[in-house]
Amino acid sequence: MKQEKIDKIPAWLDFLQSATGLILALFIMGHILFEASILVSNEMMYRVTLMFEGYYFFGETYPGIVSFLAAAIFTIFILHSALALRKFPSSYKQYRTLREHTQRMKHEDSSLWMIQVVTGFMMFFIGSVHLYIMMSQPSNIGPFASSHRVVSEFMGPLYFMLLLSVVSHAFIGLYRLALKWGFMEGKHTEISRARFKLIMKAMIAVYIIVGLSSLGKYTYIGLTHDFSDGVKYKSETIHMENHE
Amino acid sequence: MKIVYTDVLIIGGGLAGLRVATGVKERGHDAVILSLVPPKRSHSAAAQGGMQASLANSKMGEGDNEDVHFGDTIRGSDWGADQEVARMFVHCAPKAIRELAAWGVPWSRVQKGDRTAIINAQKVTISEKEDAHGLITARDFGGTKKWRTCYTSDGTGHSMLYAMDNKAHQDKVEIHERMEAISLITDEGRCYGAVARNLMTGELVAYVGKATTVATGGYGRIYSVSTNAIICQGIGQAIALETGIATLGNMEAIQFHPTAIVPVGILTTEGCRGDGGLLLDKDGYRFMPDYEPDKKELASRDVVSRRMTEHIRKGKGVKSRYGDHLWLDITILGREHIEKNLREVKEICENFLGIDPAVSWIPVRPTQHYSMGGIRTKYTGESQTLKGLYSCGEAACWDMHGFNRLGGNSVSETVVAGMLVAEYISDFCDSPESSMHIHSSKIEMALKKEREKLEALLTKQNGEDAYVLRRRMEEIMMDKVGIFRNGKDLQEAVSELEELYKRSKNIEVFRSKSRAANPALVNAYRTQKMLKVALTVAYGAQLREESRGAHSREDFPARDDENWLKRTITSWPDENQTMPSVSYEQIPVSNMELPPGFRGYGADLTKHHHETKMRLATVEAVQEKLQKEGATRFEIQNALMPYLDKLPKKYRNINERLGENI
Amino acid sequence: MSEEKKPRILKIAVLRFDPNDKNDFPHMEHFEVEEADGMTLFIVLNEIREHHDNSLMFDFVCRAGICGSCSMLVNGRPTLACRTLTSKLDANITLAPLPLFKLIKDLSIYSGEWMRYLNEHLETWIHDKEKEQSFDKLEERMEPSLADEIYELDRCVECGCCVAGCGTIQMKPSFVGAVGLNKVARYHLDPRDKRSDEEYYELIGNEDGVFGCMTLLGCEDVCPKDLPLQSKIAYLRRMMIKTAIKN
Repeated sequence: MKQEKIDKIPAWLDFLQSATGLILALFIMGHILFEASILVSNEMMYRVTLMFEGYYFFGETYPGIVSFLAAAIFTIFILHSALALRKFPSSYKQYRTLREHTQRMKHEDSSLWMIQVVTGFMMFFIGSVHLYIMMSQPSNIGPFASSHRVVSEFMGPLYFMLLLSVVSHAFIGLYRLALKWGFMEGKHTEISRARFKLIMKAMIAVYIIVGLSSLGKYTYIGLTHDFSDGVKYKSETIHMENHE
Repeated sequence: MKIVYTDVLIIGGGLAGLRVATGVKERGHDAVILSLVPPKRSHSAAAQGGMQASLANSKMGEGDNEDVHFGDTIRGSDWGADQEVARMFVHCAPKAIRELAAWGVPWSRVQKGDRTAIINAQKVTISEKEDAHGLITARDFGGTKKWRTCYTSDGTGHSMLYAMDNKAHQDKVEIHERMEAISLITDEGRCYGAVARNLMTGELVAYVGKATTVATGGYGRIYSVSTNAIICQGIGQAIALETGIATLGNMEAIQFHPTAIVPVGILTTEGCRGDGGLLLDKDGYRFMPDYEPDKKELASRDVVSRRMTEHIRKGKGVKSRYGDHLWLDITILGREHIEKNLREVKEICENFLGIDPAVSWIPVRPTQHYSMGGIRTKYTGESQTLKGLYSCGEAACWDMHGFNRLGGNSVSETVVAGMLVAEYISDFCDSPESSMHIHSSKIEMALKKEREKLEALLTKQNGEDAYVLRRRMEEIMMDKVGIFRNGKDLQEAVSELEELYKRSKNIEVFRSKSRAANPALVNAYRTQKMLKVALTVAYGAQLREESRGAHSREDFPARDDENWLKRTITSWPDENQTMPSVSYEQIPVSNMELPPGFRGYGADLTKHHHETKMRLATVEAVQEKLQKEGATRFEIQNALMPYLDKLPKKYRNINERLGENI
Repeated sequence: MSEEKKPRILKIAVLRFDPNDKNDFPHMEHFEVEEADGMTLFIVLNEIREHHDNSLMFDFVCRAGICGSCSMLVNGRPTLACRTLTSKLDANITLAPLPLFKLIKDLSIYSGEWMRYLNEHLETWIHDKEKEQSFDKLEERMEPSLADEIYELDRCVECGCCVAGCGTIQMKPSFVGAVGLNKVARYHLDPRDKRSDEEYYELIGNEDGVFGCMTLLGCEDVCPKDLPLQSKIAYLRRMMIKTAIKN
């Protein structure tokens, strides 16, 4: 057999798009759950924050860790966006063709992709803003600090849109990823596909409910808490000395 | 004025045409195929059940060889076939199928070990041999002594056609799609190509070549209900007829397939019965054993179709608003078998009947299916009367089918005839006699003539409606030139068809006046041509006062070898005549390897030819003598009816088989 | 057969256009046809041509769902018209030619040219570098289950429904589509085709090939032959990645 030099780049691009997407989706799944710790109690949310700042490993907190994590996710996010951009309609004509096609076909999976295009596009902006803030102000995460940001810094509407787009984008993406690579497709793909689709829809619903509830709680705190002595949370059990 | 020159012009892009094209290409000649549709859409794709080739790999095919295949084919033809041609065919069928295997057809294979099959409504276990594992397997078909029909599920024709077309792509065969040949160009008794009309733009193009091959399939669509694709309208036969020189053979030999669904006439393969399906009447009673205790549902097609019709006439049919029908029961084969080996049948039942054949019976009745007749050729595929014109496949009367074709022999013929005729054409093209001597003005004349005909159709005033004429023709063929025929009906059919033909000269294309893509114009000129073809069928049937194979006369129920062991030859020498000219070509008994006998269905009414007895004695004597001398079957065969010298050298070798000639 | 009741009047809207006519432009025309038992779009369209407008152009060949000629958009979805029973549709039916392919006239498209190019481009034939084989000898053996598997993919009828159902190819017409990828999967599976993984990679290891697929699955959902397109494209994707890693 002839052994030619093949151009491996397209394979890598395709693989990386899926891989980065997978990482981001897994990240989001965790992120929203951690953030929902506020629903348990302020204290719980505080502890989760401390955990990410390394408190339970080092005995003290390093917000730089959060910065670093945010930067890493930001990088993956940018990479994923760049890779996904290849698939976007690149002209109005292409966009119109695609829209006409999905409207005509009334085909769920094609429409789902349109959702991904739109949500992906939204996240270019909202996601970037969010990630940049997390990267630049890592210490401003906490039951009160976050609530303050949601309400007084007017991040609430942005988070609301981000939540809807990121959750739908992530789970539709995971669904597509499974079908794309034949993950657990079994002998009858129509069965596995229907299952994945059901799981996808359920997860979107669950995550949106959880996310909205958390956002509601943060908003509530933001509206009712007295921020006159700053946004820092004072834990009953954990006393930080050198943390300012 | 557009003229395209090539070596070999092939009209028709089905299996036969494609095989000719790749064959002549391989020999270094240029080929252009004209096809009404993309070749992969040709009617060859609709052949479901399989291709006969005596490979003898499967257990139930053990002991099969060319001799058995030959015997089945000749008996099936009711001794109407050309026995030399049939010999050439059975000898080359294994080669053709192996060639197709190498070209990519995923033939279903033998699985060693036990498997259950349904034979005669009983579950039986068949043990396939270990050493046959992985070789091409076969199923049972009607009228055959051995299981010989090789298949890919029930999409055999489809797989063959795709492999063949892909091969043509590989060989860079030029294919001009949506080009319809509307007349042949002839000069001084020689065919030089065709005038073709581009069905997309209306452009007329003259294709000029040393050899012209008509491989346009059958003419089933002259009937109102047919299993054929709607493009099988006999235009190839018609343009040959219109040369005034080429002749058609046995046009009245029309096969009716027992099991087309009601009402639309879509085929369910003979494989349904081959695999164990049964025919039932309105009471759910299996009636075929009463008529044909020996072969039952797997009698020859013509026989089963007649028995079904008889049974319906006895009032045993199932009443429906589309007329009476019978049931085909394949539920006994089980869902697994149906979903694996009869998938197209299942899809057809689901989509057109809304039933699940694993649970419900399929409404069926005999329906026009195959045209044994066609352009009469020599064994080389060349017209007997028009030099340079070749034909093969269903379009031709090469004559290996005589008056009834065996199931599985049609796709087999397309590829075998295609590969042989390609060689003969190449030989012709290589020889000095193929050089062309046609003046370009003659070509221009031919183009001009066709253009004027089309213009006349478009500009005519107060003319006839082509649809009306055509529908009436279809009805007449259906009602009066059907499975059972009689003198009175045929007489009426012929005179009314003649009347319709006269009226067709006055056809007007109403409203739709485009010179480009125009379905009404297409229908108009095709109707004129189809009427000619219909006349050759009806008239041939009227004149043939006997019953042979699929041609069954109620007023002449016996096969009459003494008077009718001959081919009907029709031609249309004068443009102005309104009836075809008919003559006959004797089928000599004196050199038959298998002298005429009784086919074994119903009562033996045969009126034998006076030479039959003598020939039979000669054949038996030769066989006995040579067997005693320990001669091989090849030597015996050669002594009776030598044919190998007629084959191209490369196809003369003996075929290997498990346990033979290896 | 079903009980007698008043048949429906089908209102058929057809997208018509004759590119050969300089004065024509794409427009809808409406026809009314009385529904009959077991009626398919094949019957409907022929009735329109025969009794309403004899210039209406459409393609049918086998009219049995085997040849793939009659694919069109029925209420926006690509499908084979010949085997579409009107009883399964609403009384208002919209018919349009498949997009992307060259239009001949009305519902008739020149899909043959497109498919031919595809076949030539992907070289959809057995590549066997061995010299002349003898066909007098026993055929090469093949595992029965493998033959069945190849046939499964060989069932494609090149109707173009998957192409018309694919959002990707609508945007990027250079994409080979499911029909092309399925063919590659078919030949890759076939041991008679001696092309190496690298050669296959050359064919479809790019964004016009398998990496262009966005898994919208329009192909899978409209394929009239129910080919396992989703699964085979996933398989090709994995295989192409493996080939890239291997090199």
